[in-house]
Amino acid sequence: MTTLSAELTERSVEQLAGDAAPRDIFDELSKRAVRRALLTAIAVPGYQVPFSSREMPVARGWGSGGLQATLALIGADDNVKVIDQGEDAGVNATNLRRLIVGNAGCGEETETGLADVIQSRHRIPEEPLKDGQTLVLQVPVPEPLRGVVGSMDEQRRMHAEGDYAKMWVRLYEDIVRNGVVSHSADYPCLVNGRYVIAPSPIPRFDVPKLNDSEALVVLSAGREKRIYAIPPHTRVEPLTFEDVPFTVEHTEGAACVFCGSDDTYLIGVPEEDGTTRWVCSDTDWCSRHRPDDDTETETEGEVSR
Amino acid sequence: MGYSNAKGGEEAILAAEQLVRRGREAGSSPRLTLDQVTERLRLAVDRVMGEASLWSPGLASRAVRQAEGDQFEAMQLLRAHRSTLPRLAYSEPVEVAELRVLRRVSSAFRNPPGSQILGRTLDYVGRLLDLMPEQDHERYVAELEASVGHSHGHGHGHSHDGHTHGDHEHEHRVPENSATRDLVGELQAVAAESDDDRNPPRVMDLMRAMDLLVERRTGEDPEPYDVTRQPARPGAPRSAVLSMLARAETGALVHFWYKLRFDPRSAGHEIPGEVRHGWLPLRVNHPLTGNPVQVAEVRVTDVETYDDLDRPDEDRSRIDVGYGLCFGHNERKAIAMAGLDLAVHRDGNSSEVAQQVLITLDGVEANGFLEHLKLPHHVDFRSVIDRKQAIRALQTGTKPVAATDATPTPGNETQQIGALV
Amino acid sequence: MSLTLHERAQYAGAPLASPAPAPAWTLSVRGLGKIYGDTSEESIAGTGPEFGTAVSPNTGAIVAAWGVDLDVAPGEALGVIGESGSGKSTVLRCIAGDEPATAGEMLFTDHGGSTERLDQLSPTERRRMRISDISVVYQDPALGLTMDVSAGGNVADPLTAAGWRNFGRIRSRATELLQRTEVPIARMDHPVKAFSGGMKQRVQIAKSLANDPSLLLLDEPTTGLDASVAAGVLDLMRGLLEETNVAAIVVSHDFSVIEMLTTRVIVMQHGRVVEAGLTDQLLEDPQHPYSQQLVAAARG
Repeated sequence: MTTLSAELTERSVEQLAGDAAPRDIFDELSKRAVRRALLTAIAVPGYQVPFSSREMPVARGWGSGGLQATLALIGADDNVKVIDQGEDAGVNATNLRRLIVGNAGCGEETETGLADVIQSRHRIPEEPLKDGQTLVLQVPVPEPLRGVVGSMDEQRRMHAEGDYAKMWVRLYEDIVRNGVVSHSADYPCLVNGRYVIAPSPIPRFDVPKLNDSEALVVLSAGREKRIYAIPPHTRVEPLTFEDVPFTVEHTEGAACVFCGSDDTYLIGVPEEDGTTRWVCSDTDWCSRHRPDDDTETETEGEVSR
Repeated sequence: MGYSNAKGGEEAILAAEQLVRRGREAGSSPRLTLDQVTERLRLAVDRVMGEASLWSPGLASRAVRQAEGDQFEAMQLLRAHRSTLPRLAYSEPVEVAELRVLRRVSSAFRNPPGSQILGRTLDYVGRLLDLMPEQDHERYVAELEASVGHSHGHGHGHSHDGHTHGDHEHEHRVPENSATRDLVGELQAVAAESDDDRNPPRVMDLMRAMDLLVERRTGEDPEPYDVTRQPARPGAPRSAVLSMLARAETGALVHFWYKLRFDPRSAGHEIPGEVRHGWLPLRVNHPLTGNPVQVAEVRVTDVETYDDLDRPDEDRSRIDVGYGLCFGHNERKAIAMAGLDLAVHRDGNSSEVAQQVLITLDGVEANGFLEHLKLPHHVDFRSVIDRKQAIRALQTGTKPVAATDATPTPGNETQQIGALV
Repeated sequence: MSLTLHERAQYAGAPLASPAPAPAWTLSVRGLGKIYGDTSEESIAGTGPEFGTAVSPNTGAIVAAWGVDLDVAPGEALGVIGESGSGKSTVLRCIAGDEPATAGEMLFTDHGGSTERLDQLSPTERRRMRISDISVVYQDPALGLTMDVSAGGNVADPLTAAGWRNFGRIRSRATELLQRTEVPIARMDHPVKAFSGGMKQRVQIAKSLANDPSLLLLDEPTTGLDASVAAGVLDLMRGLLEETNVAAIVVSHDFSVIEMLTTRVIVMQHGRVVEAGLTDQLLEDPQHPYSQQLVAAARG
């Protein structure tokens, strides 16, 4: 068994025998396995590469895939930024960040421009990503064809043959029935003219950021054990007819109550009086674009208890 | 915006952890010892070991205790721990005929060679809630020991899971002449006395001798598929199916087996040739001599089950057999497993049934995905609302309060499509 | 569905049963065979019309079709007639690529003059041919249509598969095709599951014509329809076959269908071709006893 002999050379006998000290959550061999899958993913943009996807100390569906990808990529000299819904301080983001920092011994960073690896659930930061950065998106459902065909065998055949007619028919039917494309987040995209992917539940607002991105984008689905990637400067096109332009979320006249931005992804906070307050989903970006520092306290809102 | 404070997130997590720990470790009653969990909650521990696919009663007991009895949480703890363990060696295949039985029943034959060995089972114990006052317990145990010691001349035995020497529980055997046995005889059955009794001939061999079975030993799947190293997908070999079934959540397995009973193609049910609970040796090759050496014993439940082949494309002159094996004493799991192994075989390993078995029965995956719904989804929910408002605006023909299109598109673009429709 | 490597290796090199066909044919089939079960030589003997069975007495295999030769030219319709179990639908499925043939050679030439050995193509390549070159209209519309998709969406399917990406153009092409097949445009956006049998067949025909195929395969296209509905569908198909340059193969058990749509016909019984000729002549003067029987039944 090659794996066993590799393990033997990798670890001392004492380590093999085990000790009482708590074990690390992700060992070097496992990281290497993820990196191997990732190399394939980068070489074949948009292709879903199966990987072993170990059980992690977070539940499936809670970022176990993103966590493995980030741990496989990050080094002690790097800085990690972790966001959930655009927020660095969300409880799940916080939990994942402490696991990553605990394992990798890397630095923490909230400023997008200063992070080497950004792990995110459902958002791409507002600040354009740069060359050398890696965005790791947590993916709940990696299979874009699941909505049109149930059999995994058939899904694999369709990807292999680039047979996406059923996706186009669904889009056609959607427009016929609803007058608009009603697909919301997780909008299917064609990568490099070859594979259709699920970009994870990012809003349509973030989809254009994937096209010709300076940064490497890694999409990792732990529960479903698949990893795929969009290398820098890859063509990413949302599936859309030539004469029905792709549209993104927008609310006329809405602007962030803190920073005043009206060109970011805003989320509505319903008030008891029936009105809606709009705030930036990207809290770090928002805090850096305020007219003055005094407003900072206003962002804090309620604390989870 | 309950999660938005930069410091609040971490503080909230730490506070929640504190509450969990205090609630678990404090309390007015004494803390459960691991021995207590292993012995008194043995079926809970067995189930967790099976679903975690890790034989370790000690660690599983820790997990059950830490999870405050939540089976899923305990299994998840054990799985996460398991995945950090180095692999010291790979065990050699073991022939399940070697199973040293604690219990063995056949539904297919009234009195198979080796006879029925009822053993420790709840099957025929009245489902009556025991309302004995707590203070009477000690006296009751003393009486129980005395009566058992008297009728069998057998000392009190302990069950030490994980021990090479197994346990000395009182297995009961149904008297061979069951026509004449009375209720008392059945309840006070004799203990198995020799090794032969512990290792009865297999019903499967009997069936093979009768030349009634479909041949399932194809030799196409020589190396077991390691589902923890390679994701199992439709088309995976039988060893992958069996591994996924062995790790599956018991409740999910039972449900899925039950659901198939309502499918016209699977109406009726299979008949277990054997349901067994007992010890299996675990051997690894010695690193120097290369000879297999027994290093431990594991306790397992295994089931072989038979089904009538009755579909038009099947050989009606034969019977098909399914197999299930899981760690610990968990008969309902092993029986469902065997039934589902059969179902996959009959429909093919790329069938819908195979896909369901390989993809949907894992407890960590199903529970994790379900519970992730508690995470914030407001970014995508806003996108959903955006689309609803866009459709609504088109239907009512009014400019929406919240307009929908940010990209520079011709103003009447949606109307154009509407007109086309 | 797909040939195993072994099967491909076994049959790829099969020699031509007759001299190479004239390039004028859209489809030229030689020695087509399909056996279910043991595919060895042993299964052939003892089957066919002279033995009154397609089941091999030696191996129990079903010789559904064997030694079938046929040709069809652009703008021409060839009939294949026989009772159920005669192998006619098997031949059609092998040509369509719905199942792999056991033996034989199928030479296909499209509108543009490029030629392919269908029997040597991979399953992927065969599926690709089905998008633009070869269309099938099935007896059961559920095989040819997606029932919960609208009539227009069903026609859009082959168009998008062929690379159409303009919603307006897809829609006008679908409208045009549905008009041509006399599907009320008012119902274009309704799911086809709500349509009558005849209307479903019209949608199937519209879909089959979407990419101007070179070869159209019609498998019992009117069986199961009421006589008056069937007549309407047949009229439509006759008109379409006359207007277009498509080569068509019409499989039916019903001589009236064959008579209306085709100029040449082959008669199949127990997996073999027992007679071939011009449809008119064969109807006038059938030679083989089985053909005589079929004609008598039709005239009955």
